[in-house]
Amino acid sequence: MSEKEKALNPDPGVCVPWEVKKAEIGEFPGNEAITKKEWEKLDDFAYNFIWFWAQR
Amino acid sequence: MNEKEMLYQKRLERYMTAMDCGKPDMVPVAFGVGEWITKYTGTTLQEIYYDLDKSNNVVSEMLPGLDFDIFKGGPALWWPPMFDAMGSKLYKFPGMGVDENSTFQFNEQEYMKADDYDEFIASPTEWLVNHYLPNISTELENPGSYRSTVALIKGAAAFAMQGGIMAAAWGKWTMENGIVGQGTGFTKAPFDTLGDALRGMKGVLLDLRRRPEKVLAACDAITPHNVNCGLAGAGADTRFPCFAPLHRGAYPFLNPKQWDTFYWPSLKATIEGMWAKGKRMLFYAEGDWTPYLEKIAELPDKSIIFQIDTTDAKKAKKILGGRFCLQGGVPTTLLTYGTPEKVKEHIKRTFDELACDGGFILDTGGVVMGDAKKENAIAMIEAARKYGIY
Repeated sequence: MSEKEKALNPDPGVCVPWEVKKAEIGEFPGNEAITKKEWEKLDDFAYNFIWFWAQR
Repeated sequence: MNEKEMLYQKRLERYMTAMDCGKPDMVPVAFGVGEWITKYTGTTLQEIYYDLDKSNNVVSEMLPGLDFDIFKGGPALWWPPMFDAMGSKLYKFPGMGVDENSTFQFNEQEYMKADDYDEFIASPTEWLVNHYLPNISTELENPGSYRSTVALIKGAAAFAMQGGIMAAAWGKWTMENGIVGQGTGFTKAPFDTLGDALRGMKGVLLDLRRRPEKVLAACDAITPHNVNCGLAGAGADTRFPCFAPLHRGAYPFLNPKQWDTFYWPSLKATIEGMWAKGKRMLFYAEGDWTPYLEKIAELPDKSIIFQIDTTDAKKAKKILGGRFCLQGGVPTTLLTYGTPEKVKEHIKRTFDELACDGGFILDTGGVVMGDAKKENAIAMIEAARKYGIY
């Protein structure tokens, strides 16, 4: 299993936590809050798509 | 504020007052345009399910002139093209698996095997992605392949497209007709999430005997996700209830001891988790829930709207009334086999029995089937306005 494929056990509403992504990026020269906010919005969309199939 | 906006505000207040167990100016009426509409529009069910524009246009043509408060939505519960893109095995849709005028069928199987419990419980979302989606989708059978990647792109795109199209349609219906949408968010009882789509009826019932501790652990693992699904994300609307169709909790799928042990604790935790954030559940109690009314009464006041399908309505009123809003009162069979006169008589009686002191929303007990008659649906709305003034 590669580093990226390690089990994440994400919380509700999350697929890939921002903290995991941030650690992979390393140094963050810009405004983290802007990037984090949009990352989490799309992550939440993906989460809802995944759980849609289980909530039938 | 124009005429439709004023109408919206009036209906919104009616809805909010009833949800809080109060007595508005008149009994709020909930209404949906079901599959029955196709008999009157010259369209097939396949057209209605597949073509969102056509389906939405049918609704747009139906709504003007109808005087009701709470809109439950149009005739198509699902958008099959999204399921087709994924090669989904979950349903057979009109024209794709069943006749073009037959309603959809759920294709229940053990998509999650008994051996999968531990991995699912350890990380539900990851298990769904890594195992469940490939299990339920022929296009995802070879994860990482060209077909699989394209299917995921198409499926997610369809999910977003449908959301955008339906949001625009609801906006138009609200603006043009002054009606209030029923709710926001969707969730289920954790036992139903497990028993409907993952393990299936046979699987979950065997599990109650063979691996009861796994069932309980799985329900516990699902609960925070179902709270989140009901809330529809952080910071989302809390004025309107989330819709929660409840299945295996209806009597007598489970015996009372099984219900107490396996069904109720995680459903109760889901409701309490949402209510802690200010979100109410439309407790859509399909079937008969009479034996469980006393348990349901343990919930925090006003945390649910209790839907009366075949539950004993008088007992529901006696046990839950005053603390929880009740919704329903019209058997779906009455709209199929009744006449407008019988519908009107029934509604007058229902108001006398259930609506007298407020906290009541008139609605059909369950999902109205395709063989319902339009004249009966219209009679329901007309009688509600005639007899529903407090």
